[in-house]
Amino acid sequence: MLTERERERYRRQIPLFGEAGQQRLGKARVAVVGAGGLGCPAALYLAAAGIGEIRLVDPDRVERSNLNRQVLHHEGDVGRPKVASAAEKLLAQNPGLTVSVRHAAIDEKNAEDLIGDADIVVDAVDDFATRYLLNRAALAKGIPLVHGAVSGFDGQVTTVLPGRTACLRCIFPVPPPKESVPVVGATAGVVGLIQANEVIKYVTGTGDPLKGRLLLWDGRSASTVLLSVERQEDCADCGSGAHR
Amino acid sequence: MQIQVRSFARIREAIGGDLIVEVPDGAPLARLLAVVGDVSEEAQNALFEENGELKGYVILMRNGKRVRQGDIDALALADGDEIALFPPVAGG
Repeated sequence: MLTERERERYRRQIPLFGEAGQQRLGKARVAVVGAGGLGCPAALYLAAAGIGEIRLVDPDRVERSNLNRQVLHHEGDVGRPKVASAAEKLLAQNPGLTVSVRHAAIDEKNAEDLIGDADIVVDAVDDFATRYLLNRAALAKGIPLVHGAVSGFDGQVTTVLPGRTACLRCIFPVPPPKESVPVVGATAGVVGLIQANEVIKYVTGTGDPLKGRLLLWDGRSASTVLLSVERQEDCADCGSGAHR
Repeated sequence: MQIQVRSFARIREAIGGDLIVEVPDGAPLARLLAVVGDVSEEAQNALFEENGELKGYVILMRNGKRVRQGDIDALALADGDEIALFPPVAGG
């Protein structure tokens, strides 16, 4: 049952998926891996939507050059762990939220533990080596993964449903190079919020997830394109090429 | 025959926009990619390594369906095909 305060707080969205949908949001555990350009907007809107628990994972501390796009971190947070800075803002936005933080990098050993018993994982990291770790951990645990990435004015989003849809490695068998690319904060905002929207849809059972489809965002022309993506039988992570 | 080439992100910036490319009937996808690479030095660098190999992470779609890089020499194009070229981005 929702409390009166919750009914008031979520009054403008409950008509979209009912009180049952709102209760599902309140029980959902979402792992947001990366508290940077994508993780900040994604986590903020998930908190506002009434997600029950957000698990934040990030090894970094706030730098001044992050502040053009990592909107949960403010000038006074420079030097603090990103997870601590982000958790504080999320709880200020919604005191009903539970936030657990891990100030740690994802590696082969801890990946499955760090995404833990989450219902869904938001990939908000900034390199493909870490994304492949997350992909494998999510596949192993059968947890859906919402991938996002940005560069400049460009971005991409897809939702992986383990064993049912193309996984990250099916779509991106060869990683693009890690590079310190310029990025417009609004690009990370657009992509991070599409990721948050995917989570809300998944948890409430609303609409069609971006499964088997890769959404490309081109901010220069303000256009989106959807590419069909299929499972690869010989995928190194989810197909016959997998060693698990 | 004419092939439409759509491109995204850095590849689009390098090529300058969508293209319609004329190639001989039955030309393989590899031939088309070489023509696109010849558009400019930027296009060449966006698509190909210094040794001339297609960059491994470039995603190729033909009429909305994924094409594996290993198939570009064998895949014969047809008039009116649309080829999409997409470099994944990695930032977060």
